[in-house]
Amino acid sequence: MRATGFWPRLSVFVRSFMIQGSWNYRTMLGGGFAFAMLPFLRRLHRDDPEAFSASLQRHAEHFNAHPYLAGLALGAACRMEEEGKDPEEIIRFKRVVRGPLGGLGDALVWVGWRPATVLAALVLALAGASPAVTVVFFLVLYNAGHLALRAWSFRVGLVRGSQVGDSLRPLSAQAGRLAAAGVFLLGGVLGLVLHQGWVMGEWALMVLCATGGVWGLWLGGLVGKGGWKWSIWGTSMAIGLVLFFGWMG
Amino acid sequence: MALDGTSVGQVMVSRPLVAGVLAGWIVGDPVLGLLIGGILEIYFISVFPVGGSEFPEGGPPAVVAVATGAAVPEAGGIPAGIALGVLVGFLWSWVGSGSVRILRRVNGRMVPDPSRREVSPGRIVWAHLGAVALDFGRGFFLSAGGLVFGVWLARTLGGFWPLEMAGTLGLLAVGASLPAGAFVRSLGGWRRRAVFFGIGLTGFLLGSALA
Repeated sequence: MRATGFWPRLSVFVRSFMIQGSWNYRTMLGGGFAFAMLPFLRRLHRDDPEAFSASLQRHAEHFNAHPYLAGLALGAACRMEEEGKDPEEIIRFKRVVRGPLGGLGDALVWVGWRPATVLAALVLALAGASPAVTVVFFLVLYNAGHLALRAWSFRVGLVRGSQVGDSLRPLSAQAGRLAAAGVFLLGGVLGLVLHQGWVMGEWALMVLCATGGVWGLWLGGLVGKGGWKWSIWGTSMAIGLVLFFGWMG
Repeated sequence: MALDGTSVGQVMVSRPLVAGVLAGWIVGDPVLGLLIGGILEIYFISVFPVGGSEFPEGGPPAVVAVATGAAVPEAGGIPAGIALGVLVGFLWSWVGSGSVRILRRVNGRMVPDPSRREVSPGRIVWAHLGAVALDFGRGFFLSAGGLVFGVWLARTLGGFWPLEMAGTLGLLAVGASLPAGAFVRSLGGWRRRAVFFGIGLTGFLLGSALA
């Protein structure tokens, strides 16, 4: 095993923040992965240009993962390269982890953490917080989890190398809890919005909107994934129609 | 802000809520920014940028939406600003999505192909930083074009919005309920959703009671 030291590893971690910079349909994160590994590989193979070129080649191949958990694959790849593992084993490892790192990261962050923190901020805003407090609250809360996840995943990869499977299991349970928190906060947002309607004193309109809202929730539950497309087009059409009638007088 | 969406950091300054408030400060009305950003946020709550999927962009369109809302003439009032801002935000989120698709295709031509042995340190760095720079330029032109279009639309149609504040927010709330339902649906099967329904209902009752 050949140690590279602290700075090349830190450089890989810092570069992992822009791993999606050259995201494309052919190699997906491949270019970003090689870009992040570059300082580490240069240092590791400083006396062997051919080994450097070969290692850069294999890390530029197709790869995909959730950007926050890609650090785990980066850390593990650093460790495996340092240990001088067989290149085929490193390629195989990256192929095996890309699915779980993508699926788990999506469930944990995009479906769990992000909606939960956004909705918590909206609850705060509806409860009367100023725009500044709302935004600062969201950014601090979200990024506390975001940065902790990035640092954790890179460290786990570095420490465990290819044996990272067990470390990922507890994260799936967290994804479920975060989703539950998100739904709870969504309910809170709906309750607060309804209260705003109550305060405005437009009873008939409020009943109409509440009925429409219940139908919308039900329809959204039926449509599922593409629900946001329907709502965006439907609302755009409705705004357009109201504008047209306003223009007609 | 466009860079934060995918290319660099993803610290969520590109979320409509944050971008909306920041744009609100710039135009002198952060509350309008919070309103429009918060509404767009609910509409985009069930949008997950999974894998290579296409999704509406949030950051630059939220800035354009708030600028549009602020540009509505006084005769139109705040409800017209919110309605037109949200409408332009929706339209521009699709334009943003299309520009991201084109950028990703261009990136595919720029990054070296390992199967053709094109990989070298210089090409990796050039392609990667070049792609980030292109994304920056894309965000700049997307925002600039949106601002011109949004301000023109606000000044042309802003005076024709007939609904008051309650009607405007009611219309947008009904529309936003659909992605909220889709969000709950995305969390799992019927049994799990039934549990989530109970959790959401508890939150709803607490929210209405404590307000």
